[in-house]
Amino acid sequence: MVEIPELKSQHIWVVILCVYIFTSVYPIGVPFRMSEATLKAYNFIDSLPPGSIVIMGGSGVFAFDLESSAAMIAAIKHMARKGLRLVALPLGTEAVQFQKYCIDTARVDEKYGGPWKYGVDYAVLPYIPGGSAAVVSFLTDVHALVSTDVMGNPISKLPIFEDLHDYRDIALWTCPHWGFWIVRYVTGERGIPMIGFAQAAAYALYSVYMMIYPDKVWLTNGFLGGAQYEKLVGIKGLGHAAMDSYSLISIFVVFFVILGNLRLLSSIKEEEEVIE
Amino acid sequence: MSATLTYIRTYLVRVILIIAALSGLVTWYFVSPQADAIANELQIWNTAAASWTLFVGIITIFSHYIRSVMKRERYWPYQLYAMILMVLWCIMGVWSGLYSNLYQTAYLSTKITLHIAILGQLIFFFISGVYRTFRIKTARTLLYAFLALIMVVLNAPWMQWIFPNAEKVTFWLLNNVGMSGERTLAITGGIGGVVLSIRILLGLEKGALRATEEI
Amino acid sequence: MISTDPWVWLSALLTLCSFSLLYGDNPFFRFAQYTYTATVVAHSVVTGVPTMRDRFMPLFTGQKPLMVVPFILGIMACFIVYRKYAWVASFPYALFIGVGTGLSVRAMVATDIVGNLKAVIREAGDIVVGPMPSRLGNLVRVIFIITTMIYLFFTLFHKGPLSKPFRYLMTFGKYCFLAYMGISVGNAIMQISGLCTSAINRLIRTWLGL
Repeated sequence: MVEIPELKSQHIWVVILCVYIFTSVYPIGVPFRMSEATLKAYNFIDSLPPGSIVIMGGSGVFAFDLESSAAMIAAIKHMARKGLRLVALPLGTEAVQFQKYCIDTARVDEKYGGPWKYGVDYAVLPYIPGGSAAVVSFLTDVHALVSTDVMGNPISKLPIFEDLHDYRDIALWTCPHWGFWIVRYVTGERGIPMIGFAQAAAYALYSVYMMIYPDKVWLTNGFLGGAQYEKLVGIKGLGHAAMDSYSLISIFVVFFVILGNLRLLSSIKEEEEVIE
Repeated sequence: MSATLTYIRTYLVRVILIIAALSGLVTWYFVSPQADAIANELQIWNTAAASWTLFVGIITIFSHYIRSVMKRERYWPYQLYAMILMVLWCIMGVWSGLYSNLYQTAYLSTKITLHIAILGQLIFFFISGVYRTFRIKTARTLLYAFLALIMVVLNAPWMQWIFPNAEKVTFWLLNNVGMSGERTLAITGGIGGVVLSIRILLGLEKGALRATEEI
Repeated sequence: MISTDPWVWLSALLTLCSFSLLYGDNPFFRFAQYTYTATVVAHSVVTGVPTMRDRFMPLFTGQKPLMVVPFILGIMACFIVYRKYAWVASFPYALFIGVGTGLSVRAMVATDIVGNLKAVIREAGDIVVGPMPSRLGNLVRVIFIITTMIYLFFTLFHKGPLSKPFRYLMTFGKYCFLAYMGISVGNAIMQISGLCTSAINRLIRTWLGL
């Protein structure tokens, strides 16, 4: 039997790095199929009447949430086209930056030629600490909990808050994070529909709540879900780029696992020969 | 004297804790506008008091780094650099505002860039790890490695193109096999969480509240 | 064309510093590491400013004088960093833990325990109805949940006539758990891969302009 040498980690890393550089320079553009889960999320947003208030609540660690941003950005674009309104509720210290990133990248503000005007169609609140206490209090009475927006403007002077008082005014809650605990209060206690732009690592965790509330919680799956939502909205963002490189990387993962097992077989043969 | 103070403090802490916890429970299980008002006020107090904890990090790290720089411990030049950066960053952030484009660009170009790069690097370690550990020696490795690889491949667009039902299989696995594991964790974690909460209410979990320490 | 934006250069250099870990521990990576720590901590302070303004606005405008209580409690919470006076922080932490406990108990009972058990019962009924993949899915869910629960709850050694079949169920539950972990890990690769794509794209496209 042919002796297969044990590869050093550095050799594998060089191959992987080359794959990423290659796909970055020459995007392959492998087409992907639409999944039912993403379509359901899209259709629900599409079915909301213009003027409905959507909350972008959650987000914790920006770098992880970058995966959710692919679908979130596309969804914000979709909401702006449909005439929906958005209130960003940061529940993590990095959430303000993440939510600004999503809104800016979606180019929905009028300063970018989009249809949204700050304070009228969307607003960003400051970070509210307290986790579950912040969510429950927000759902109970928005004006009792929050007094200013992130820039220090009193919310009583922002028109969007004239229509947002408590959970009854919220048409949809979107969560671009591992916000499974938020579902307990938002959907579990108040019955508000929720779309989770779940990270791939958190999909299974989130899907538990999708099964408990089958007609109220929808999920997209990681970068693939993001790419699918981008496709539905007609944009090419990070989701597309991520799936492009993932196409090649997935082949290399399988290749290295096969190689590792061949190395195992070869070492077993070697040991048998030594024993003989 | 100190024992008496510790006793009083411990019980005062427990009273605060019980009132705060019961406010959340009573308001949900009973209809009472008074209870609702108390619960909502306590929740707002919670969010307000917790905002001070945002400054705990800088106090801790400065006290640690200053000591380290004074003693010229290992990596002290980096720690000095970090302290200077923290001061400059705070000035820049407070001056320009959290929602300003300048702050956003600075934050994206430093912290977020670094964090994404650090997390992204994991793929290198992950693939070299997979090469070494996904070697089928037992039935357990076979099951684990096989399902992980199946998911890797099924999520790939090329597989969805070759096998159009790949996406359906992915969601079947995630929503049934994957979800079952998570649901078990949710049920067991939920029971554990409720038990822990009852123990806290009964004052059996003392460590977190420093009830065992003397003043 | 290569970027002329200083922020892009900073971002690219920090990405390279971070990736230098692949070569081994080195001063560039350490520089990146301390930059990371400094920005995380300082960002917390910068975030604290609008948060404090929002939280205590009713106190300073005189709308809610009682907000002085959380104001004082918040200052007390900062004493957690001094070992000698850490006990001062136990009062605000009692409030945090108390409110959190009350809210989580009611939500966990309703959702994680009762909601999940209801869903399992509903799915058990659905094993005999609906299309084949869905029936099979419900069957898998019910069996997997029962056996993994047995595996997680009964970790002690079992004696008596039922010990053998019980052990088989536990072993099966362990394999179900492994299957779940395999699926979760396989699905998570997509996330890490995408983040690496974002980092490399920043270097290749945004910085070098290729």
